Amino acid sequence: MKNSMITFRSVTPAQKGEALLNKAGYHCALLRTPRWMQEQGCGYSLQVRSQDVKKCIALFDDKKIMYRKVYLMRENGTAEEIDL
Amino acid sequence: MIYLDNGATSFHKPDCVRYAMMNALRYCANPGRGGYRQAMNASKVLYDCREKAAAMFDADPEQVVFTSNCTHGLNIAIKSLVKPGSKVVVSGFEHNAVMRPLSAIGAKITVAGRKLFDWEDTLLSFESALKCGVDAAVFTHISNVFGYVLPIVEIADLCKKYNVPFVVDAAQSAGVCPVKLRSLGAEYIAMPGHKGLLGPQGTGLLLCKSLPDPLLYGGTGSNSESYQMPDFLPDRAEAGTANVPGIAGLSAALSYLLNCDSNTIWDREKKAAALCADCLEKEGFCVFKGEHQGGTVSFVPDCDCEFFAEKLTQQGIAVRAGLHCAPLAHISAGTFDTGTVRISFGHDASRKQTERLMKIIKYVHHIYKKI
Repeated sequence: MKNSMITFRSVTPAQKGEALLNKAGYHCALLRTPRWMQEQGCGYSLQVRSQDVKKCIALFDDKKIMYRKVYLMRENGTAEEIDL
Repeated sequence: MIYLDNGATSFHKPDCVRYAMMNALRYCANPGRGGYRQAMNASKVLYDCREKAAAMFDADPEQVVFTSNCTHGLNIAIKSLVKPGSKVVVSGFEHNAVMRPLSAIGAKITVAGRKLFDWEDTLLSFESALKCGVDAAVFTHISNVFGYVLPIVEIADLCKKYNVPFVVDAAQSAGVCPVKLRSLGAEYIAMPGHKGLLGPQGTGLLLCKSLPDPLLYGGTGSNSESYQMPDFLPDRAEAGTANVPGIAGLSAALSYLLNCDSNTIWDREKKAAALCADCLEKEGFCVFKGEHQGGTVSFVPDCDCEFFAEKLTQQGIAVRAGLHCAPLAHISAGTFDTGTVRISFGHDASRKQTERLMKIIKYVHHIYKKI
């Protein structure tokens, strides 16, 4: 299954995003952001299924939840930033 | 013991508060730092508490900043809005948690509204001060000494009319009567977790409409590459490790309150205070009572107030006497020299409790009169 990572600047907006996605019925996991993805050091991310990521971002935009970037995780462990 | 010092702290706390704190000590590590289960447990505790507070106080979860008490929150708020030489208007009933930071900063303070329970006087005074031009307003919702419930909605409207940012001290009102960040339009509302919110000591909430200046600088678990404090809430105002067991307890207390009918608690406290005030007056004491009074009554006994309070303690009544960390309130009411004995009812207020209290007060009064 392909996953995507949505990064946040700190744990609180990530948790707000998690609560919103859970309420909307989207599976997500709250994780530490990989170091190379951290823009200013430290951070949390939500891992979602890639097939859901556009809808998740739309929900965040609608509810003004501040996220940073979106990445598509590859099976070899690397990731690429995607522009939605 | 009949506990009537809820103005200082609520006692006892609901059982759920204790259980939540014990659970936190067992299952929670440091929030917002690691990614392992115990760290995430801690992060969840904090976020759940923010969500409940946001629901209760008409705010967003990120606008809920954890503090160690109301004084801490007021210091953050006041130091964000008030600079040396700033003109500030306050009410005549402010606690030292407002007056001391303002004095320390070197603010030029105007005191508005010195008449107890008199909304007309309070509002006219505030408008007069605001018209003259001030940089900020800081005012209490309910006087911790006299239970005077100020017209904060109307004062807020005046502040908005004259474009003056304001801070509300909700130390005595949070959890007891409605306090709403968005609808009030305050820049900041500070409250303790351990009074009307029934949480443990060492907790407080600061509701932030605006981004505050940091009071404390340190690690936040975010923006770690930078030596600057983050420019977003709540991180900007939450340096260092949070009081996770305390916040867990506060969160449980908020759940308890969200399931209660808060109007009933407020109603009971007010009725208890009104009944108590009437009885004290009949007994011949100098009592401060009036319309717009919450669950707190102060009176001046015909002996030293600390002596009288001690006599009550010996009979199993817990009250506080003296100046209650609010010398300005006592100056306004004319009780600075004598102090008062303060009875502050809590969520367990009842007619039966008040009747028992009055029996004991009458007994102590008559015993003292014989001496």
